[in-house]
Parts: sequence; structure tokens; C-alpha cells
Amino acid sequence: MAPGKSTTPVTRQLGYANAILEATDQAMSLCDKVVVLGQLVDTQSGIFGTTTGLVKKYGKKRVQDFPVAENLMTATAMGAALTGLRPLICHQRLDFMIYSLDAIANWLALWRFKSNGKSAMPVTIRTIVGKGWGQGPQHSKSLHAWFAHLPGLRVAIPATAYDAKGLLLESLLGESPTIFVEGRGLYSMTDDVPEAPYRVRFGEAVIRRPGTDLTLVAIGHFVPPALQAAATLEKEGVSVEVVDPRTLNPLDRRTICDSAFKTGRLLVADPGWLSFGAAAEIVATVAENLGNRLKSKPARITLPDSHTPMSMALEPRYYPDAERIAAAIRQTLAG
Amino acid sequence: MPLSHRTIQKLGRYRDLSIEGFERDTVFALYRQMLRLRRTEEALHAEYHPADEMRCPIHFCIGQEAIPAALSLHLEPEDYLFSHHRSHGYYFAKGAPLRELFAEIYGRATGANGGKAGSQDISHSASRFYSGAILAGAVSIAVGAAFGLKHQKSRQVAVSGFGEGATDEGAFWEAINYAGKARLPILFVIENNRYATFSDQLKRQKRDNICQRVKPFGVRSTQIFGNDAPLAWRTLRAEMDRLRDGDGPALVEAYTYRWNSHVGPEDDGANNYRSAAEIQFWKDNCPLVLLGEALEAAGMLDAAAREQLERETADEISENFRFAKESPFPDDTNWHAMNHEDATPLADQLLGSASSAGAFDQNQAEARLGPY
Repeated sequence: MAPGKSTTPVTRQLGYANAILEATDQAMSLCDKVVVLGQLVDTQSGIFGTTTGLVKKYGKKRVQDFPVAENLMTATAMGAALTGLRPLICHQRLDFMIYSLDAIANWLALWRFKSNGKSAMPVTIRTIVGKGWGQGPQHSKSLHAWFAHLPGLRVAIPATAYDAKGLLLESLLGESPTIFVEGRGLYSMTDDVPEAPYRVRFGEAVIRRPGTDLTLVAIGHFVPPALQAAATLEKEGVSVEVVDPRTLNPLDRRTICDSAFKTGRLLVADPGWLSFGAAAEIVATVAENLGNRLKSKPARITLPDSHTPMSMALEPRYYPDAERIAAAIRQTLAG
Repeated sequence: MPLSHRTIQKLGRYRDLSIEGFERDTVFALYRQMLRLRRTEEALHAEYHPADEMRCPIHFCIGQEAIPAALSLHLEPEDYLFSHHRSHGYYFAKGAPLRELFAEIYGRATGANGGKAGSQDISHSASRFYSGAILAGAVSIAVGAAFGLKHQKSRQVAVSGFGEGATDEGAFWEAINYAGKARLPILFVIENNRYATFSDQLKRQKRDNICQRVKPFGVRSTQIFGNDAPLAWRTLRAEMDRLRDGDGPALVEAYTYRWNSHVGPEDDGANNYRSAAEIQFWKDNCPLVLLGEALEAAGMLDAAAREQLERETADEISENFRFAKESPFPDDTNWHAMNHEDATPLADQLLGSASSAGAFDQNQAEARLGPY
């Protein structure tokens, strides 16, 4: 914080979903170019409460239902952006968004590049990743690593209501195409959120819990169990530093490496599949920068290389919880 | 009787071209635009080998000049035009500077996109022209531009030019469905040249009746013989006028033909996908020859005028080649800056000056930990 500038912000407890709604509302109020497109965004239920009431406040022109045509929806947002609008589109499940991969991978991500920097694409794509209660293999895929792999896209994966609001405002009023990955499991969590609009910048990780013995980089909905695991380890006399990258593209490699250099140990908790994922990228970054200065082998705790099982018997074994993250911390410390 | 590639060929030489009711300036401009485009493409085609300085795929549009020439006389600077990979005619139609097209194909820093896009991905943002190689993708984005125009109550239109190959793709039908439902100010222009690369439309689709198929979606449609430039001019004019009055969307299917291979200057005839007689039919119905004959018959084009046009065009082309070849190659390897826009002027303005800005640090890096 800048010295002298800091005063107590007007904050209150706000849920993750409400923070998304508030960011959208404030962006639409600040800038009349912001429009919202998506299936059922104009209904009372409003994408799990994240768009509720917007149509009443801003009208049908700015908050529009859209056909079940995900590719066209993305392309429509792109064309609309060329005319000066700042579209926000919403996918209730990321799995449906896969229909729009042509628009995203062949057009959106490379638009600025192939225009030689002359044409911007301020399009924000909100996408929700389901978890639990039998969501199964077509309602729970978290493909944040796919999108982060593409040059030209920004990828946000907020874990708190504070970050969700700040990153969404930064996306809607920024100039770059952004994939905004939300964990459905985070929706009910509350956080201390300022009432006024504010910014969370891309490429700025946050140290959620300082520590000295091990760096635990936790992404998205793995942040809460990671913090719980760190609290457990504290009782065992182990000081874990929890780093939340908040955005994967750009990725704040410096904060991650600085932390790993300080603690000498690295564990990455990533709510994606093991192979070729975000955790691999983070481990590689630290290995390239610190190499044998680490005190123990870096490790990953992720989803297994498997699609999501529906059964309530298998779900808890598929998703690592705080206990399993704690066990992974102990194992990394041991070796 | 509905037009199709099969029925057209049975007609033999096209006899219906008429310039009656046209002002001399209009039809002469049509001819001039077609000639400029034809000669430009011929020159690029001839120079491609053995010089080998244009090192990117080029899909030449020789034989398909009528639609771009007609569009070039109707499009306003504030209109949007989206094209597929066979882009030169549309680039030309939007009035984007041709020397930047040449420089782009030569991979030079002065190219329309600094040598990053090439022929099949070229764009010229200042001219509101965009293209891309993944067929119906550009059609879909054009729908978005039309959405934006309607949202902002503009009288401008979005035009999407593509081949019948794009209508194989599901994305095309998503676009048609929504354009019709939302009554968007978009003109879909299909240059039906029969083949997707080497594949006949009837190998890919049950019927060659796209115009009939889009109507139930609320997209009115017209078929025309696409090498009749005055007819193309009239048809496109009427549709664009209606679009500007809020009466959209519309589709025009222009039957035409590419004389060259699908891509590049090499002959792709070894694939045996079309007959010599078919190629000859279309060369006999060359859009330039058809209009040129009508102009001559009406006394609007004589040998001297033709010679002057040819000379001006040749000068323009050699100047474009000179510009391209003398331009420097790009030397920038800041890959991050090429792909990402880091500046956030609007966010700086709006979030930096919010009413409660003084209440807390808006650039606060530390998120507060909530109860989980």
C-alpha cells in the first residue's frame, strides 16, 4: 500500500457469487459499453445468482439471453467488441464452452497478434467448473491449463470473493481477451470485500499465508483446503507459505520463485489433471530458476489423470482434500 | 428455375448482362475495379515463382472479380467486411491500401499486419476489413459486428464474404439462426465456386440449395449469376439499402468460378476434380469480358480508354511491388508485446477515479483471507 494513502476501506462480508454480480453491476454502471450475453443471464436465478437483477437495472439490450450456440456466442462477443462494446459472456459449465474452441483458439487468442497490435479484443468469458454432487465427467472439467497454454489470452482463476470482484472489474474494463475460471464449489464462500470498485491486477500472485518451511502454490478451489492444510501443519510445528497465483496467464513467476527460494521446498496444488498441467509449468519454472538449491524434490498434488466419477463413493477419492494436501506436505518435507 | 452449377453450364454463353439504366460512371468504375483486381492477381500469380519471395499460401481469386468490384462501390468506410482465406478481392473491396497487401504477402514490416498474417489472415483494422482461414469462423464474427451495430443503432452494415464450403460447417448455421432471430444488419455473400478445395458441393451436401435452406431461419436470399457485374451491383445495392433501413439479414449467393488452383500458382489439375470443358465454360463467361463487350457496344469503352486503364493499373502494380520489395523485414521479437496488450487505459480512467478511491488502496495486492 502506498504510504499515507491507506485508510480503512468500507468492506463487508460478501459471497463469491455476489462479488461477481457486484463487479458486473459496477462495470456496467461505470461503462455503458459493457454488455452481458449468455444462456439464461436474464432470468431470476441468473447463473447461480451472478447476473440476477441486471436485466431489470440495465435492460434487455445490455443483458441478453443467447441461443445454445457457444461458438457463435464467443464470435458474437468478438464482433461486438470490434464495434466498441465490451462483452461479458457466461458459460454455466466449462464443458459447454468447448464448443467455442474454434472462436477462442483460432480467432480470439490471436486477434491482436495477427492484426499487428492494431485491433484489441476486450472480451471476457466467464466459465464455471462444477465440483461434487455427481457432476460427473461432463460438468466438472477444469481446463484452465488449456487456455493458459494459448498465447494472447489472459486467464484468471480467483479463489476468493475479493479476487473475483477485482479481477472481473480488471477484465471487463481492460483491453485483452480473458478467460475467467470460477469454481462452483467456491460460490458460497464469503470474504471481506470492499463496496467500492477496485482492481486486482493480472500477473500478481498473493501470499495468502506467510511461512518459512515449504511453499505451497495453490490454485483456484484448491486454495481453501491448502490453507486448512497449512493450519494443520502449523500445529505440528511446520510453517507453510501458501501462494495463490490468482492468474495463470500472465503467471507471477517471480513471487513463486522468491517464495520457493526462501523456503527451499515446493508443493503445487492444482485442481486440474496431473499431466501437462499448470502444476507442471510451475514446478518447471521453479526447477529452471532454482535447480538444486531446493532442499527436497518438488511435488504436485492434482486430480488423477482420469475423468471425474459421478459416484459419491469415488468423488472424495478423486478430489484431494485438506488432509491429503497435509499428507503431501509431510511427504515433501521428508524427502 | 433455381440456379446451380449444373444448370448454369447448360446455358452456354451468358447473354443476359445488361447495363441499361446504369450511369456510365458506375459501370465504368465496375469495369475498372475488376480490371485492377484481375491484373493485380495475375501479376502476383506470375511473380510467385520462380522468385519465391512471397512465402505464404495465397488463394488467388482470378475469375471471381465481379462480387468484390460491386461491393467496392457500395461499402462505406464505416461498414465492416469479413472475408475467408481467398481474401484479396475483399481486401480490395473495402478499399484497404493495396501496397500494404503486397508488403504483407512479402512478409515486410510495412505490410497491413507487419508480416504476421500473410494473405489468408490479412486484416486492415482502419478500413474495418478482417479475414481468416478457418471458414465459418469469420462469418460468425461478422454476426457479432452486426450485433454491435444494431445495439448502437448504427446505419452501417456488416458484410460477410465466403464460399459455399463454409456452409458445411455447423458454425455457419449457428450464425444464420441467430442473424435471422435477432434481425441483424448483416449481408452474407456466398461466392459459390462449386469446390471446397477439390470437393464438389454435391459430394458434401445433399442439395445445392443454400438459398432455400436459409429462408426458414428468417434470412431472405437471392441467387445470381455471379459473373454478371452489373447484376451483382444491383442486387447488392438493393440488399444493402434494405439492411441500412433495418430490414435484415440477407444472403446473396453468387455463382462464380476460380480459374486457378485452390491455392498457389501450381496446377492442381492432377486431382481430376473438374473438367477442361467446365473451366472453358467459365473462361468464356469471364466477368471482365462480359462487361467489356457491353461497354464497347454502348460506346462507353474504346481502345484508347482501355489502354489508359491498363497503363494506370500496370503502374499501380509495379509501384506496389517496388514498395513491398524495398520495405524492410520485421525485426521485432518481443513476443509478449505482439500477443498481449498490457496497457489498461479505460480501467486506469474509471477505476482510478472512482468516487471512493481514497477509501482504500485500489491496487492492493493482498487479498483478505476469508473464512473457509
